[in-house]
Amino acid sequence: MMISFVMLALLASGLFAWYSESKKTDSARLISIVSLVLIATTFIVYINNTAQDFSTLTTLVKVPWIPTFNIYFALALDHLSILLLILTFFLALIAILISWREITHRKGFYYFNLLATITGIIGVFTAVDMFLFFFFWEVMLLPMTALIAIWGHENRQFAAIKFFIFTQVSSLLMLIAIIVMAFVHQQQTGELSFYYQDWLTLQLPSELSYYLMLGFFIAFAVKLPSFPVHSWLPDAHTQAPTAGSVLLAGILLKTGAYGLIRFVIHLFPQASSEFSPIAAMLGLVSILYGAKMAFAQTDFKRLIAYSSISHMGFVMLALFSLNENAYNGAIATVLAHGLSSAALFAFAGMIYARIHSRDLSEMGGFWRSAPRMGGFALAFSAAAFGLPGLANFVGEFLSLVGAYQTFPVITILAALGIIGSAVYGMMLFQTSFQGPVKHSFIDLSIRELFIAVSLFAGLLLFGLYPELILQFSFKGIS
Amino acid sequence: MEISVLLALTPQLIVATGIVFALILISWQRSQRIISLFTKGVLFLALVATLMSFSQSTTAVTPLVTVDDFSRYAFVLVCLTGLCVVYLSRLMLSRQVEVHDEYYLLVLLVILGAGILVVSNHFASLFLGFELLSIALVGLVGYLREKNTAVETGFKYLILSASASSFMLLGIAFIYAYTGSLSFSPENYMAGSQIVSSKLYQIGFILFFSGIAFKLSLAPFHFWTPDVYQGAPTPVTLLLATVSKLAMFIVLIKCCFGVLPSEVVKESFLKELISAIAILSMLVGNALALKQKNIKRILGYSSIAHMGYLLIILAIGSHSGIAFAWQSVLFYLTAYIVATLSIFTVLIFFELNLQQNHQQSYLQNEQQQPEITTNDWQGLFWQQPLLAILALVGLLGLAGIPLTAGFIGKFYLISFASQNELWFLLASLIIGSGIALAYYLPLIFKLFADPDIGNENVQQNIASANRQVFYWSFGYSKLFVFLLLSLGLGLGIYPDILSRLLVGLGI
Repeated sequence: MMISFVMLALLASGLFAWYSESKKTDSARLISIVSLVLIATTFIVYINNTAQDFSTLTTLVKVPWIPTFNIYFALALDHLSILLLILTFFLALIAILISWREITHRKGFYYFNLLATITGIIGVFTAVDMFLFFFFWEVMLLPMTALIAIWGHENRQFAAIKFFIFTQVSSLLMLIAIIVMAFVHQQQTGELSFYYQDWLTLQLPSELSYYLMLGFFIAFAVKLPSFPVHSWLPDAHTQAPTAGSVLLAGILLKTGAYGLIRFVIHLFPQASSEFSPIAAMLGLVSILYGAKMAFAQTDFKRLIAYSSISHMGFVMLALFSLNENAYNGAIATVLAHGLSSAALFAFAGMIYARIHSRDLSEMGGFWRSAPRMGGFALAFSAAAFGLPGLANFVGEFLSLVGAYQTFPVITILAALGIIGSAVYGMMLFQTSFQGPVKHSFIDLSIRELFIAVSLFAGLLLFGLYPELILQFSFKGIS
Repeated sequence: MEISVLLALTPQLIVATGIVFALILISWQRSQRIISLFTKGVLFLALVATLMSFSQSTTAVTPLVTVDDFSRYAFVLVCLTGLCVVYLSRLMLSRQVEVHDEYYLLVLLVILGAGILVVSNHFASLFLGFELLSIALVGLVGYLREKNTAVETGFKYLILSASASSFMLLGIAFIYAYTGSLSFSPENYMAGSQIVSSKLYQIGFILFFSGIAFKLSLAPFHFWTPDVYQGAPTPVTLLLATVSKLAMFIVLIKCCFGVLPSEVVKESFLKELISAIAILSMLVGNALALKQKNIKRILGYSSIAHMGYLLIILAIGSHSGIAFAWQSVLFYLTAYIVATLSIFTVLIFFELNLQQNHQQSYLQNEQQQPEITTNDWQGLFWQQPLLAILALVGLLGLAGIPLTAGFIGKFYLISFASQNELWFLLASLIIGSGIALAYYLPLIFKLFADPDIGNENVQQNIASANRQVFYWSFGYSKLFVFLLLSLGLGLGIYPDILSRLLVGLGI
């Protein structure tokens, strides 16, 4: 019941924020942040105190929803989803703080959409009835698209449409796969079922399972995103408001990774291992192509967007190496990238607020006027290219170690991506904060400092003490 | 004839009697208020009679007509939509000085035609219903004769409609020539495979199908759709888009499931023909809607695509799937009608408001059909949130996005298609939905855009400024909007209300 309560409370506070903004200006952000902190605290307290052990998937709620199709409202938690939920709460908090001054019109509706997106994402991470999962998968898109389309930058509508169409078309493929799975279940057991735990017991003919796996894979590969279905991402990230970019890069992409783990690999172990060379190749291409493209960008946010493609390539490669080290590495990368890309996008937003441009050629010499900002920017770029001591290093290291056991050649090539990331990371930092002074502006405010410090603390914590993540023995897929 | 047999046909008889009484009423007293109330009363009675008859079993009333639960459900939909149309038409027509008795009479005739179509079990009754529906609609399409589009629209619809029905008649004649029976039910026939392999029968079926395809505006018989949608008075367009399509589709399904044993469809050229038309409609309809500015035209093109999606049902693979096919069709049609009704309601309130705000200039400009383009509802969400949310739910429903009934409809269709392994149709369904988003989404974004930005046209600025003063005083308009909203969202969030009912039909 706890998760349903969390989602309901988030949605309700979103509605309340929307309503109260019309009564009193600037009350929406206050209400959102207070309710978010309260809800997140309740959730964490609940997780700590509950008697249940979440080392395996534990179903918390299961009530009939559409009995005609035997569809349930079923939610479950395990360590993986708890980790991702905590990341979601944390980044949601950051997102609200970022929007604090940036959003100046339609504020009430904005915070409603923000909280509705979070609600949808929580649903995605916890739903175990596949129809319900699909439902949340689509529902989280709507407010996200609204965030891009209403509060985005100059070319926002095009970006929003592209984002929506890519996701929608690919997820219809997943819907077909889901429906076929349910019918296969009907053929084998005589009962239609969309319930994830039921599906785990199915014996699928190998050819069919390959196609079904592809249906799921394409939907998640678009969200991750992986080459060649990544092209929505640079547009959506660039055009979204800062908080939108943070949510997109920090959490929405992770729903793709989560889907690959939970559904593709666990439901279709055989088909996944057959498919793994292709997936690993796609991962490799994403790594190198993302790095190359990032290097060629002149737009601050676009550069970070392409770097996300590159980093998600590591996740793909690691996941399909199908061993425990790589798997742990993938999860560490997911969390680390969530924090570091959120931080970089937040900085893009802060710079945009000061000079009203995202163009790298208009930036330079910021360090002189804003040394604290420069220091943090350096730290976050370093995190992005995997400096030891920060969380990204743990993830990439483990991913490569694990992947090497399965795909030695691909992994050696993928390691080149790390060099690439250092090149574009340094380029990003140098062109904006060093060189001749093109702008001077005030340094980080207290609110911005808080954002930067908390994100950096997270990165440092996981980097120095990765046991925090790795203690949860994620079941390897062997 | 037994009384129970007559009872089965009561709803249709009520409408028919209603028409006669309406004629008498007109000769007795011409009053807009009375006739519209009377029409609503007749439809309501028919609705109640249909609802009461649900418990009865399938009854054959003469060889022409068979009343079963599916047709009862379809007629409930027809009556409900008819009630909405009458309500909206009354709002529209009450602004005018003239008394429009004939209008309501024609609407009743359309409902009667649709009522006959949904119960017909014979080519003769099919043709009867078809013609009743078409001729009444021709009158309605060109009804506002002062408008400069009236003649063009009416003629276009009349000529194409007439040629379609003559094609259909020829087709029926061919089919009759070969099979010697006009009934839909299969026992009168020789072995199925023999029938279908005959050239005469094939040509007959193609001709017959093209007549129906014209009414359903399937590609390549869709050319009239956007023009007529645009030119007809908006409530009439609504009638065209909902009642006419619903009835035609139901009768097409009855005919195909009856005439063609599905084992035959599986093998034969007919499946390829139907699939080809379905795929063509999905792609053509969606692609042509992309560049349109007028909202009614967009809806016209999108209806082509929707009928294409529905045609998937006819490519059924086995007899056992028929029950689920019916459930899918009825759910999809319900969702489609709710969504279409929602959007048209917004359009009609919009037109009313335009008239109200421009009372003076409008009267001088009597000839001009009010055109509602995408720019007109720019920023509606910030000025009239309730109306904008209705439009939003309608558009999302048409696009098949979760939270709305349209998604569950699409879920039914995809389930049906995957059960019957129709992969090509599924592929084009996905592509079609993808293209469709490219015009639904800009429409939705317009609702949320800033009201003043980008409207260079001064006239439109005035329109947008005037929109802030919105007249909600049209009858029970707010209640009506709430009802539509709760239907669209309720069926999307808790579809079991309807699904369970549909499962119960036909048992």
